[in-house]
Amino acid sequence: MKLKTAFLFSATALFLAAPAFAQDIKIGHLADYSGATSDVGQPYGQGVEDAIAWVNKNGGVHGKQIISELNEYGYQVPRALAAFKKWTSSDHVVAIQGWGTADTEALVAMVTRDKIPYYSGSYSATLTDPTGKATSKSVRAAPFNFFYGPSYSDAARAMVQWAAEDWKAKGGQGKPIWVHMGANHPYPNSPKAAEEAYAKELGFEVLEPIVFALTPGDYTAQCLTLKQSGANYAYLGNTGGSNISLLKACQAAGVKVQFLGNVWGMDENAMKAAGTAANGVVFPLRTAVTWAGEAPGLATMREISKMSDPSGTAYRPVHYLAGVCTALFMKEAMDWADTHGGVTGVNIRDGMYQKKDWVPKGTEGVCNPSTWTPTDHRPTMRVDLYRAVVNGPTDAPVAELVKSGVIRLEKVATITLPRKTELLGW
Amino acid sequence: MSPLFFELLLNGLIIGALYGVVGMCFVLIYKASQVVNFAQGEFLLIGAWICWWLLTSWHMPFLWGFLISLAFMTLFGILVQLVVLRPLIGEPIISVIMVTIGLSIFFQALMKWMFGTFAQPFPPVFALSQVNVLGLHVQSAYLLSTAASLVIMVGFAWLFKYSRIGLAMRATAFSQQIASSLGISVRQMFALAWGISAAVSAVAGVVVGIVNGVSSALSYFGIKVFPAVILGGLDSIFGAVVGGLIIGILENLAQFLDSQYLNWGNLYEIVPFYVLIVILMIKPYGLFGTHEIERV
Amino acid sequence: MAIATMRPCGDYRTSYRADQTIFATRLSKAWALAGLLLLCLAPWLLSGYLLSLLIQIGYLGIAALGLNILVGFSGQISVGHAVFYGFGGFSSAYLARHGVPVPLAIVLAGLWTTAVGLIFGLPATRVKGLYLAIATLAAQFILQDFFVRAEWFTGGTHGAVAPPFTLFGTDFSTDTRYFYVVLFFFTLMYLAAANLMRSRDGRALVAVRDHYLSAEMMGVNLTKYRTMAFGISSFYAGIGGALYAHYIGFMSVEGLDILFSIQFLGMIIIGGLGSVMGSLMGTAFMVALPELTGALATALEGGAIDHALHLKDGITYLREMLIGASIILFLIFEPDGLAHRWQQIKAYWKLYPFSY
Repeated sequence: MKLKTAFLFSATALFLAAPAFAQDIKIGHLADYSGATSDVGQPYGQGVEDAIAWVNKNGGVHGKQIISELNEYGYQVPRALAAFKKWTSSDHVVAIQGWGTADTEALVAMVTRDKIPYYSGSYSATLTDPTGKATSKSVRAAPFNFFYGPSYSDAARAMVQWAAEDWKAKGGQGKPIWVHMGANHPYPNSPKAAEEAYAKELGFEVLEPIVFALTPGDYTAQCLTLKQSGANYAYLGNTGGSNISLLKACQAAGVKVQFLGNVWGMDENAMKAAGTAANGVVFPLRTAVTWAGEAPGLATMREISKMSDPSGTAYRPVHYLAGVCTALFMKEAMDWADTHGGVTGVNIRDGMYQKKDWVPKGTEGVCNPSTWTPTDHRPTMRVDLYRAVVNGPTDAPVAELVKSGVIRLEKVATITLPRKTELLGW
Repeated sequence: MSPLFFELLLNGLIIGALYGVVGMCFVLIYKASQVVNFAQGEFLLIGAWICWWLLTSWHMPFLWGFLISLAFMTLFGILVQLVVLRPLIGEPIISVIMVTIGLSIFFQALMKWMFGTFAQPFPPVFALSQVNVLGLHVQSAYLLSTAASLVIMVGFAWLFKYSRIGLAMRATAFSQQIASSLGISVRQMFALAWGISAAVSAVAGVVVGIVNGVSSALSYFGIKVFPAVILGGLDSIFGAVVGGLIIGILENLAQFLDSQYLNWGNLYEIVPFYVLIVILMIKPYGLFGTHEIERV
Repeated sequence: MAIATMRPCGDYRTSYRADQTIFATRLSKAWALAGLLLLCLAPWLLSGYLLSLLIQIGYLGIAALGLNILVGFSGQISVGHAVFYGFGGFSSAYLARHGVPVPLAIVLAGLWTTAVGLIFGLPATRVKGLYLAIATLAAQFILQDFFVRAEWFTGGTHGAVAPPFTLFGTDFSTDTRYFYVVLFFFTLMYLAAANLMRSRDGRALVAVRDHYLSAEMMGVNLTKYRTMAFGISSFYAGIGGALYAHYIGFMSVEGLDILFSIQFLGMIIIGGLGSVMGSLMGTAFMVALPELTGALATALEGGAIDHALHLKDGITYLREMLIGASIILFLIFEPDGLAHRWQQIKAYWKLYPFSY
């Protein structure tokens, strides 16, 4: 009798829960696995996918599974556009995990019109102003754009501040010299105005920017120019691939400059490829630790990594962790939305505003506390600066190199910028 | 003049030698088979990847890996000519250009699929990675490239002037019909030209790979080579070398001007193309190219 | 490469005028009209995704037709079409932002692009064949650089916002409505091109392509017609780019690279050089190809082939490889393109059971 009741009970429960199971949450996922930014797009995209798979495996969003439609668009805006149209017309997605500056900026107007939260891998400051009216320099309103991590501009400002302190600590005489290096494209140019303005404010002498392309190539000429200019601090605005070429060329040319990178400009794979040329480069991290560090949240990260690497031996670069964090923020916003009117685009956006100093559950010590408000989409003003340390030949796989200590990321400083409204949006 | 000027000049010569090597390969194909090879950069890329793969996965010593890559690339070049270009003999030039463009797209994607998108460093090849030449730190690999381009140039000159094969190639380039009527196998000449061109491109690819790591950037050499060969003359091998050197020097001079005086930021990349346009206006057949006389 | 239409026995013409109609027979005209009507019903019949693909085919088809006029009909190679397309988009966005009504802005953008095309066309008359291809390659890189630098015009690194299309107060920016805008321009431009080809100027262009020495001897002004070809092709590219800009609402220099120019060339070569219909077919092919490979990969996901080739990781490269391979294969096996193949198919059915 008891067995029968139990059976009846569970059958009814299942029957009642069935509609909930049938309701899945659809999102779109734009990734670059083959285009100009694929060297960093691959680990980030993998992180997002693995995180979503892990969420689904562990109950989804209150039982609902997240269906992620992956579209690999090779950093070509038309393909991203076609994917967006498909997602909004046929699939009715409620959120999008996006990627690059090109597609994010192209889709801002459309996601605003269609009210779909867009989580980008682009940290352009122009995406941080939801109202578009914060300062005179604000380019547009982006109420549905989110990203996890300091914006390019804020990260650059933090590095300017660190450089100023570093100059004083080194006992430098006179005005330190700052130069921005990067391709003449939206992504590398994103922080230039902010960075140069702040550098001037802190007493740097700012040189004319040195241009080098986003593609790997031979940059000896640029290195010679850099050497001759006498710059002390050089900001590298490009992704890892081209930065590697520049660093190697500058090492060969004997350039003695403190290089500073952006979040996409250096990672463990780039350190392996560049070898000792990458030694000493300072760049920001979006997470509090790297894969080789110690934090309670890394246990979750390792579980998530097993979704695509069951053996658990893969070394995940910094971009992978950032991708996971971004996906998990979205998931928790969906959790809130589900209990406050259903998982729709507008509710997910509101869900992003609910917590202050928010760390997704299970990622303590890895994902940094972030806060989004209706007037300010800068999640954090805190920038963790790390130095790349490479002290030997880098022939082995990355995992081995990290284990043997040939490649290391050591923390240099944590700079927390004041959350000023005048600095929002540019 | 400031030391930067001389450093850039020397750098220009070294890079220019590399452009010259690639230019020679390009001109060889054009001269022999009248094909404009937009996929020249991909030959560099494939050669570099194959050599890298032999060195890292099979742990071969550099010399062996290098020689095997050269052999592979020769066969590869012959195969490409056989399979893809032969059916297109006689087709309008736009079709031939498009086929080579299609090849370049195909091979770029294939290389990315096989070897990934990350730039991979070459295992250390030289005991000394850089030497001091006239005060400028020069990578040993670039010295290899300068030496290689001299050897290749001399080799080509000898080949075309004194050997039977070279004579046959020149005859084919001059007029395919007359050559075949004299008993020269035009098809074999085409295949040979492509094979040699692919192998020499592989040399350039390996050199750049040693310096900068192997990545898809090597394909851009195929685009940079156009100003060099147009300047030198599309059907002059010597002109290709001269053109390459001039373009290399011009790029670096532009960088000098840009960094010291103009500060536009992009002259290094864009100057070769402005020069290209100017040359096409003034001297469309380049410095050493043969002037095409049109007869009615 | 003129493709002769086959007329049935007894359908003869008695005047030049009658021989030069755009549609060869009454039946083909009827088919064309029926097709147009069917397209008008498309927003109700098709899903949003397919509709957006059709819109893409629309504006890309206009630009591809422009390139076909330049390459296929006039025999001048251009590897820099993407920047003219981009210039049209930027101009239209610029004009619309400064108060010009969007429909007028699109047309004006076409005219501005024509001006730029003429500037490039004039020196282009001095060079032929391969050299022209290389000159346009250089133009591609130079103009691309210009777009990045000219912040006042293109918005530089941030790109330019393109206001939505409004006509007499009604907003046409949704897909279903914008489809009609694109359809209108598309029909107009394609009819114009077909008309151009049967006119005196069109014949002059073809003469310049086929044997310019003879054409010159017959009194065809080479410089005038070559430059005109550039101008017309740029007009089409400009209109295509403007429609694109107002569709997305945003215009950026990213994506206007050499690969895009090559894709345009691929469209017209696969479609058929020198064929108006071919431009449309080739564009449809190139737009559909990435979508089809994506669908194929999703279908094969998890299967045996997927495991053997690691298709999931390689799907992106597979797509590019397919684009390259399709260009190569078409040129080897069907150098005259899809239009020619279509003519062959029609001929087969018309002549059955005779093969000739």
